[in-house]
Amino acid sequence: MSIRIENVSKKFGVFEALHDVSLDIAPGELVALLGPSGSGKTTLLRVIAGLEIPDAGRVHVQGEDTTERNARDRGVGFVFQHYALFRHMTIFENVAFGLRVRPRAVRPSKEAIREKVMSLLKLVQLDWLADRYPHQLSGGQRQRIALARALAIEPKVLLLDEPFGALDAKVRRELRRWLRRLHDEIHLTSVFVTHDQEEALEVADRVVIVNRGRIEQVGTPGDVYDHPATPFVYQFLGNVNLFEGRVNRGIADVSGRRLAAPEYDGVVDARATAYVRPHDVDIVQESASAVAATVDHAVALGSVVRLELSRKDTGDVVEVELPRDRYEGMNISEGKVVYLAPRRARFFINETPTKTASA
Amino acid sequence: MAAVLDRAVSGAAPRERRRRFAWAPALLVGAALAYLALFLFAPLAAVFYEALRKGWDVYAAAISESDAWAAVRLTLLAAGIAVPANLAFGIAAAWTIAKFDFRGKSLLVTLIDLPFSVSPVVSGLIYVLVFGLQGWLGPWLSEHDAKVIFAVPGIVLATIFVTFPFVARELIPLMQAQGRDEEEAAVLLGANAWQLLWRVTLPNVKWGLIYGVILCTARAMGEFGAVSVVSGHIRGMTNTLPLHIEILYNEYQFTAAFACASLLAILALVTLALKTWVEWRQAKETP
Repeated sequence: MSIRIENVSKKFGVFEALHDVSLDIAPGELVALLGPSGSGKTTLLRVIAGLEIPDAGRVHVQGEDTTERNARDRGVGFVFQHYALFRHMTIFENVAFGLRVRPRAVRPSKEAIREKVMSLLKLVQLDWLADRYPHQLSGGQRQRIALARALAIEPKVLLLDEPFGALDAKVRRELRRWLRRLHDEIHLTSVFVTHDQEEALEVADRVVIVNRGRIEQVGTPGDVYDHPATPFVYQFLGNVNLFEGRVNRGIADVSGRRLAAPEYDGVVDARATAYVRPHDVDIVQESASAVAATVDHAVALGSVVRLELSRKDTGDVVEVELPRDRYEGMNISEGKVVYLAPRRARFFINETPTKTASA
Repeated sequence: MAAVLDRAVSGAAPRERRRRFAWAPALLVGAALAYLALFLFAPLAAVFYEALRKGWDVYAAAISESDAWAAVRLTLLAAGIAVPANLAFGIAAAWTIAKFDFRGKSLLVTLIDLPFSVSPVVSGLIYVLVFGLQGWLGPWLSEHDAKVIFAVPGIVLATIFVTFPFVARELIPLMQAQGRDEEEAAVLLGANAWQLLWRVTLPNVKWGLIYGVILCTARAMGEFGAVSVVSGHIRGMTNTLPLHIEILYNEYQFTAAFACASLLAILALVTLALKTWVEWRQAKETP
């Protein structure tokens, strides 16, 4: 079922959690809302669920305006970061809850409920835990039960709020692959919130990057990673180095080195910041058109070597990734001075670069 | 108690240190026990000793006397109304305070604590000022032939006022600690407000609720100050058990006074046993 969010705004006191946000989600899609904490991504999810009422804007599910509808009548499945299982009920009763609270006329029979619950527990591969209580389960198991419970009401859409946020790294990786497979099986329109870029890029069909209550970019994982639309997205997805330069008629000048910037064809001599991924920085022999830097650290990680350098002129830290064989051919050691030249860059004009450590 | 302490110390510290510091816990435990013996156990024993000093027959006669029975009935009636009323109020107040944000929330919390901070005598006087003959509503009430002060309604009102923080105070921190997630989950699964209350909210605070009710009941039956002001001390009519005991004592009927006091003491012991049992169950069920 499709979800359409139109010009939604939401304030908490003076804090603007969402500012005029619009988003379309296609039926059967798995979408990630990605952003730093406090960016408004969870608020957006709660607005779709009906747990928050937007100050302005509309929410449509399957073409129907649900903005005014009570959360209990929306038929959304919701998975909480901290599971929110009913602690005094068994796993079976937890999953059965959504069916048991239905009005008598539409409530399934006892046997039907039992069958449905057991089949859901099998789907999440935990049918052997039916008689346990939530506190007897591990975090990963609890989250799968929470998912089974959300699916029991046959929701129109599934919403997950940082579903793996409280789990340790290994379980988190397992569970997100499992979620992806599950989604491919049941094809339920799903939206999940995360602050982990790796998680969003690995699991989602499309990624929505949210910052300060606004949507920065929407696209496939490949899209947003390779073609970030804004400086924020560039910094948020993957590591990035910033170089100051100038752009003139489609040609950029970074420390005397010329690079193509075709998107700024019409721009005449403007200050610009070059955003360069670590693997797009070259280490060259001494030359006028390069930046001198000292090697601080070199760490070999499998087939690549990650170098951390500090620029001689500004002291800024630059990260460089080199193929291992190339690094070995170069005779670089810590403390040595080398020369950096961006090979490929994306330019943003007149942006004052935020000097945060890239996430 | 000493055994528990000993085990704790030997588990935590090496043998040498244990020997050196053994006198400190022994001294503290001894002091605490002596204090308890002097100020709690001795008076409690005295109540039963005085009550039974003239024999079982006198004791039985004292507590089966008609005025005494009237006092017991009135005490049970007042508690029987005050406790359910405060149970309903306590749940509603705790739910509102713990789960919703609204203007004046901290004012409400302060108001709930008011009976704890106000002297019971003052609480009683407030009712006299409002409902008494010279009070704000007094003339209107007497026109309609309704009597609140020096009558049962006044006693019930005073008891409700004095005991109303107990349930709410017990539930508010518990509900706040549990957060809103489970309730939000229940709502999204289609539960209505009634199902939410009975299937999610109340089962989660079950033991805190029972604990609050026990404390509330104990206080409702033992309340003296506020009830004393509004009661008027009419024998067999507006005397609760604590008031009845005071009258007997003032009339030098010591044995009868202590006999009735022993009823309250037994009640206190039962409350204590229930409270301990609830705490034990709670500890067992909480993961």
